[in-house]
Amino acid sequence: MNDLDETEEFKALAAEYALGLLSPAETAAFEDALSGDPDLRDLYALWAEDFAALTAGIDPVEPPKRVWQNIETTLFPANPATARTSFLQRLGIIPASLVGLAAAVAVLAFVDFGGLVNTPFRPAYQAQVAAADQSLIVLAGYDPAQGTLRVERSAGGARDGRVLELWVIAGDNPPVSLGVLPDAAQTDITIAPDLYAALEGGTLAISDEPPGGSPTGAPTGDVLAVGPLTLL
Amino acid sequence: MTTPADIESMIGRIALGDKAAFAALYSATSAKLFGVALRVLNNRAEAEDAMQEVFVKVWRNAARYQINGLSPMTWLVTITRNHCIDRLRARKAATGDMDEAADIADATPGPEALAIAASERGRIADCMAQLAPDRADAVRRAYLEGETYEELAQRYAVPLNTIRTWLRRGLLTLRECLSS
Repeated sequence: MNDLDETEEFKALAAEYALGLLSPAETAAFEDALSGDPDLRDLYALWAEDFAALTAGIDPVEPPKRVWQNIETTLFPANPATARTSFLQRLGIIPASLVGLAAAVAVLAFVDFGGLVNTPFRPAYQAQVAAADQSLIVLAGYDPAQGTLRVERSAGGARDGRVLELWVIAGDNPPVSLGVLPDAAQTDITIAPDLYAALEGGTLAISDEPPGGSPTGAPTGDVLAVGPLTLL
Repeated sequence: MTTPADIESMIGRIALGDKAAFAALYSATSAKLFGVALRVLNNRAEAEDAMQEVFVKVWRNAARYQINGLSPMTWLVTITRNHCIDRLRARKAATGDMDEAADIADATPGPEALAIAASERGRIADCMAQLAPDRADAVRRAYLEGETYEELAQRYAVPLNTIRTWLRRGLLTLRECLSS
């Protein structure tokens, strides 16, 4: 706003940021500035304190017990086999009667292929990335503690002479590539730390690309399947 | 009575993976935060989901608390408020809510907004009371209902290209009062 001097401009921006009134681009620019400017952080902190005081008159309400139980189950699964089972169950692909078997298979797979991995995979987010006509279905589970995305292709595959490339989209941001999916049905992808936030609540998408993946850094072929990562 | 210093120390221990401190923080703060989530989302099932997500975030981000300079309760309220606003905006985007449209047509502060105004306390309450009523109401709606510049422009019948200047003036007046 050209009628404000620089100090006022920063005060107003900090307030708008605290209220969530800035556009995504302005928010990103403000956060960049925030990380290198202690004075701006102080301005923001002042607003955050004052706005939070607007909630002073809101009466406390005891949440039901299940809320805490669900938090505990999400963060501290009692044992990995149970967590794995519930993951598969919630994906809705394995009938309850087969869950025991699936858990056994999961444990075997862990012994066979996971010899070097000593922390069990515990997904907190899951996604079903599926084409509208179900011709391609990929299931994904994300373990934020390890930064690992486990991807399992359960139907369909790449077109002849083409590859499938996986992307994550956070909010209004452009898609970021998570790599080309291998021919194997299941693969674990290690997520770079700067993408952790994008995975938590972001959307996964799969596009059709030339061998080696998109040459441009953005999807170039058809987007074949899309699915949001949701909290388990 | 849990003091801010207690909450701060709980957050510090949570950053080190202390589950007992996490349980203590939950029992000390969840009722307040659930109240905030209910107020913002106005939907019990959604508020419960939001609480779960908020505490999962708190567990994972506790190590980042020290660097943001906020008091511990403000940090928790801000995470809760922001998370609920994200949900609310996603809900509005998904449904194109008719109630919301009807609500926007009503530009006067409703009984609910007035009740909130009456329940504000301390310095912020005094300073909000000194603002023009529609600007104070707009600040509340932005903070507690996540209203955007577009929604505020419609609500107060101010053109979209001037709503920002209009609200910013109010915010700067508010800052002056809060800092005096």
